[in-house]
Amino acid sequence: MLSYLVRRLLVAIPTLLGVTFIVFSIVRVLPGDPAQAMAGVHATQEYIERVRKELGLDLPVHIQFARFLGGLFQGDLGRSIRTGLPVAQEVWTRFVPTLELTSVSLFLTLLFGILVGIISATRPYSVFDHVSMFFSLVGLSMPVFWLGLMLMLLFSVRLGWLPAAGRGGLAHLILPSVTLAASSIALVARFTRSTLLEVLRQEYIVTARAKGARESRAVFIHALRNALIPIVTIVGLRFGALLSGAVLTETVFAWPGVGRLVVDSVSARDYPVIQGTVLMIAVCFVFINLVVDLLYGAINPRIRYE
Amino acid sequence: MRHRSLVFVLTVLASVLALAQVPKVGGELIIAFGTDPESLDPNKITSAPAGMVLTHVAETLLTMTEELEVAPLLAESWEFSEDNLTLILHLRKGVKFHDGTPFNAEAVKVNLERFRKATYAFLLFPRVQTIEAVDEYTVRLNLDKPFAPIIAHLTHNFVAIVSPKQIAELPEGQEIMAPVGTGPFKFDKWVRGEYVRLVRNDDYWGSKPYVDSVVFKVVPSDATRLVLLETGQVHAVMRVPPLDAPRVAATPGLEVVRVPGVRTIYIAFNYQRAPWTDVRVRQALNYAVDKEAIVKEILGGAGGVSDAPIMPLIFGHTGQNPYPYDPEKARKLLDEAGIPRGFKCTLYHPTGRYMMDAAIAEAVQAYLREVGIEAELITMEWAAYLAFLRKPVQEATFDMFMLGWGCVTLDADYGLFPLFHTSEWAPKGSNRSFYSNPVVDALLEQGRVTPDPEARKAIYAEAIKVLWEDAGWLFLHYEMQINAQSTKVKGLIHHPREYILAHRAWLE
Repeated sequence: MLSYLVRRLLVAIPTLLGVTFIVFSIVRVLPGDPAQAMAGVHATQEYIERVRKELGLDLPVHIQFARFLGGLFQGDLGRSIRTGLPVAQEVWTRFVPTLELTSVSLFLTLLFGILVGIISATRPYSVFDHVSMFFSLVGLSMPVFWLGLMLMLLFSVRLGWLPAAGRGGLAHLILPSVTLAASSIALVARFTRSTLLEVLRQEYIVTARAKGARESRAVFIHALRNALIPIVTIVGLRFGALLSGAVLTETVFAWPGVGRLVVDSVSARDYPVIQGTVLMIAVCFVFINLVVDLLYGAINPRIRYE
Repeated sequence: MRHRSLVFVLTVLASVLALAQVPKVGGELIIAFGTDPESLDPNKITSAPAGMVLTHVAETLLTMTEELEVAPLLAESWEFSEDNLTLILHLRKGVKFHDGTPFNAEAVKVNLERFRKATYAFLLFPRVQTIEAVDEYTVRLNLDKPFAPIIAHLTHNFVAIVSPKQIAELPEGQEIMAPVGTGPFKFDKWVRGEYVRLVRNDDYWGSKPYVDSVVFKVVPSDATRLVLLETGQVHAVMRVPPLDAPRVAATPGLEVVRVPGVRTIYIAFNYQRAPWTDVRVRQALNYAVDKEAIVKEILGGAGGVSDAPIMPLIFGHTGQNPYPYDPEKARKLLDEAGIPRGFKCTLYHPTGRYMMDAAIAEAVQAYLREVGIEAELITMEWAAYLAFLRKPVQEATFDMFMLGWGCVTLDADYGLFPLFHTSEWAPKGSNRSFYSNPVVDALLEQGRVTPDPEARKAIYAEAIKVLWEDAGWLFLHYEMQINAQSTKVKGLIHHPREYILAHRAWLE
């Protein structure tokens, strides 16, 4: 188990290096350059050249990459072009709100997605099943910004129950996290339903029922556990997607998260921040994948880590 | 019981109404804007949102009123020497920075010296050679050549004065994050991506603000800003989409404020490339496009048709007669110039940068088609667009491009010189269309070195007239900013520099 963990963490290093290299190259292949983007429409050539020099962008690309890597190994991600702040600080202050939003959304996804999925699967083709599957289709197809605005109009403008936007207490979290979670809940519900239905048809469930196990035991202990592995996989993937895909929700709800930071940084060609954020998200992905793999073992003891 | 409370409410209401025009002290004013300031260091800021926040905290030597006239602020008066090579500034006495440091000539010198090392210095201070603190309250700026626009440049936030103590204590390579100025508000807190909070400076030298504090809240989505305003969570918002303005205006308790902006939107020709070298072709295009309709229908009235390359409030502006919409005349001029029907060319434009920019480009395309010109629209993302337009003349591949120019110094020099003077050709400067006209060059140079305001005005009037008749651009419009506020807020100043100022605001 421990050696497995160590091995996985070691394997993560080349993955992250690869990500670093790809992001580093991609931002530099994009048309437009940070010195000009920062200097703006009013700048003169002289000014742009000064900015370029200040930012170290006048150096050859391989030297820039070497410097970036050198800094990385010392835990230094460089400084933002736009704000002059250390990237690590910039990314971290924006990462916390995103993590907050994403965790709550994940919780909602797990709670409602799996719950609805189970009820639908145990009563296939019932009214509940039809209604919930209809809404999950709607939830999957609804554009996030539209849903966000509609929820905002209903719950803050019409009813006045919840704050419309911004970060604050728990009340501020409700609308954005529901908005962000909507499509994930829908997806997980559909997925849980179909997987569970499949399992419920298996012979060992028939056996369980035949030997007189209560229905709840048959569903929760025998069936759900076996259906859980694909569900955990999809939830893990969704968590990554929530984390990196929160940008629209963050924009609509004025949430100071990392998604908005990335978009702003791309428009400003703020290379260090783009690199830093993508790296951070990549680290999260690697971590989530690891957790998912470990969960497999917890769910199904037949899975061994060697 | 119920009656009594009703009476009470009515009494309170009546007294409130009676007091309606007497400013009320206290409360927190919240203003929502779209973009987080990139910095609050005067020497680093580049955007209007950053400038807006900083204006409340750190003051400049001179200021620009809402009517865009230069007025005293930290300098009470100023004059040029006989030879126009020295600007003498007489400073206000008895002013203190928020940290208690006295404001004096030395403080100004420290700030301006720091600014001269900043990257922007040459933009605003190209001619300043030395800065002298003559006595406690007199500063002299010595120039190598006369430079009249310096007065306007001293109103810019880049040269906002912060405490010399703060500058002295700033570690090398660090920028100011919590500015300490002399302004009516003191810096309190800045949560990046969320808000900046300022509190009243009770020791302010001028009229003290009414509100206890002001919060500038970052809300990137236009629609969300309006929702926050409608639900009373903020008191004022910036940048209302033109098409939403009528609805907001019709909402009880809200009002829409339109303020002329300083940005001119134009389409430039590739001046060194046929057929744009022919004045008839350039004029024809000016006749071909219905600017009135663009401003009215696409911008919903949030703009004005250009009558000069700079907007009317800028110093040195003299209005010309806009080219009327006359497709017949346009066709005739094109025929004379020998342009075949169906002539193909390119029109580059940004999207989402200026108000309705892509829609305006499409409208222009349709108008040009009417007179037999097929303009292919090429949309570019902003950063890529900037790079594309900064190429030397031999590499420039466009026929036309759309761009905006904010004349941020509010002086004609900055609205014309970088855009039309031959020495400013891209990639060196901002004359991206390679315009070149010796008459214009001479006038613009003269405008820079003539200190007498009336004489300068006459020079710019002449330059604008030449540019207009020469059809230097396809002149479009200047933008208006549309803000909205709750009727509960009084005394907010909506400034053409794209600022909302809380200096004299109060909450009912």
